[in-house]
Amino acid sequence: MGRVSTADLAFGLFLVAVAAVALYLIADLPMGTAARMGPGYVPRALAVLIALIGAFIAARAFVTAGDAFPAIAWRPILLVGAAVGLFGLLLPRLGLAATAFIVVLVAGLAATDMRWKELILIAVGLSVFAVLLFVKALGLPMPIWPVP
Amino acid sequence: MDLIANLATGFAVALTPANLAFCFLGVLIGTLVGVLPGIAPITTIAILLPFTFTLPPASAMIMLSGIFYGAQYGGSTTAILVNLPGESSSIVTCLDGHQMAKQGRAGPALAIAAIASFFAGTIATIIIAVASVPLSALALKFTAAEYFSLMVLGLTGSIALAHGSAIKAVAMVLLGLLLGLVGIDVNTGLPRMTLGIGELGDGIGFVAIAIGLFGISELMVALSRPQDRTLLSVALSQLWPSRKELRDCVPPMLRGTAIGSILGVLPGGGAALSSFASYAVEKKTSRTPERFGRGAIEGVAGPEAANNAGAQTSFIPLLTLGIPGNAIMALMVGALMIQGIQPGPQVMTAQPQLFWGVIASMWLGNLMLVILNLPLVGLWVSLLRVPYRILFPAIALFCCIGTYSISNSQLDIGLMLIFALVGVFFVKVGAEPAPFILGFILGPLMEENFRRAMNLSRGDPVVFVERPISAALLFLTVLLLAVLVLPAVRAKREEVFQE
Repeated sequence: MGRVSTADLAFGLFLVAVAAVALYLIADLPMGTAARMGPGYVPRALAVLIALIGAFIAARAFVTAGDAFPAIAWRPILLVGAAVGLFGLLLPRLGLAATAFIVVLVAGLAATDMRWKELILIAVGLSVFAVLLFVKALGLPMPIWPVP
Repeated sequence: MDLIANLATGFAVALTPANLAFCFLGVLIGTLVGVLPGIAPITTIAILLPFTFTLPPASAMIMLSGIFYGAQYGGSTTAILVNLPGESSSIVTCLDGHQMAKQGRAGPALAIAAIASFFAGTIATIIIAVASVPLSALALKFTAAEYFSLMVLGLTGSIALAHGSAIKAVAMVLLGLLLGLVGIDVNTGLPRMTLGIGELGDGIGFVAIAIGLFGISELMVALSRPQDRTLLSVALSQLWPSRKELRDCVPPMLRGTAIGSILGVLPGGGAALSSFASYAVEKKTSRTPERFGRGAIEGVAGPEAANNAGAQTSFIPLLTLGIPGNAIMALMVGALMIQGIQPGPQVMTAQPQLFWGVIASMWLGNLMLVILNLPLVGLWVSLLRVPYRILFPAIALFCCIGTYSISNSQLDIGLMLIFALVGVFFVKVGAEPAPFILGFILGPLMEENFRRAMNLSRGDPVVFVERPISAALLFLTVLLLAVLVLPAVRAKREEVFQE
């Protein structure tokens, strides 16, 4: 058959790992009986099932032909991810006006056809728009300006 | 007659200026989203969820549902003019709709799409109004066992209709169920899988997961693809189809409405499947099947009627049973629960204003959509010229603000980021997130009903097959699974999902 389906292998191992973490986290929870199930009963059953399916998918990856793990375009993932992370970190300190500007700027860099002038204009515009819509009009409790 | 009285209640709610405005806002945003490729209705609903929490429940539901069926209308505009499905259920509309546009008949194609959608939307609204009373009455007889079996059927349906490998969809459902259980166990008060984080006691934030998986992750994936939109410059001078064309379209519209109405109710079903099925039926029954794919107006009318009917009737399981049939309906359940309403058959009796108001607004929304989509089509076309690089930073910002505003929580932003990355991974390994979100929503409900049913039967699982309704639901589940593993059906399913 030749090639291993690395996409299936990755997904199978991911499932096994998630199941293992879950089983570890619920190790102390009582199982109970079928008539009086404890808090650990259903999660444990689910985790075991997930581990079994994960193992099956991973094993099948070596036997049946399937897709290889596709190439990943890192640029949008990193930049958009960074923009989201920055929002969480900065908002309580810098306020919405500055945070929105930074988030839009960083996310906007992910476009392959990015243009600096346009991006800065959009960032300023969206920052003003977000403050007016979300804080002024919708009354979300967010600071607008940097919190001392 | 009760139906008339109920609809009167509904229209009284839907016709208040505020609700008319929210309905209009919903269908307007829905059309926008449908027109613009790269923004899915599920993404939009996820992003807008947090902003609806300050609204009364009826207004929130009216607006969110407007987005959903509005996107079905808007999607056809892009399908016909650009040959891109603005929305997944418009894929088949591309086939003949775009051919018609190339032949200079973009006007009639757009008009018939709107007419078919409106026709189907109207019929489907009536079906919802008529079917919901007996279904809710039936559902009130449900005990824990029936609820559990119904949810099993629903999840199996979402597996059957997921794209790609069925076993991956099974894994996604189970994964969703497991993550849905994070938080304090209601029966014992013990924290489960919370990593000692107090905030996780209430479970993983639903909005954070939904926006991460369907919003941010979608951006990350979409940006790695080239964004190509070649607009067909069309003169929309002649908008109306000829009398003969209209007459030719009546049977496809009727058949499409019937197909969509049935498939929409099925668990996991909905708009996309309905339009595929309708197209296949029209091509099979046509006396001139060779015209299909070359600009047959019936190939636009049938699927457009079907996808709109399907979008509409997929509200039936949600409204009557409280069980979401697809991922978008799962978001609606989330919206209701955050509003403090437990969706289920009791909603109709306990909140008739909400229930009938939403149904009445569907018809009003459909009416607004005809107006939005026919005379204003030029406006929507010009929107298509807005490049993605201008749209997506705004989407990213709104995702962040929406998630954060739920409880002013940095943890939610962190979770959203994690699920965005996991979502990209899911796309890369070919696992669809829709069954996951359905499992996530149903997880706590299923566990609760499972434990209660087992408790009442003293641990004997026979209870699930002893009770006739529960047994029937499980029988349907087995049937669905059997069909799923049959090789002939598998081949057919793959064929359907090929483009």
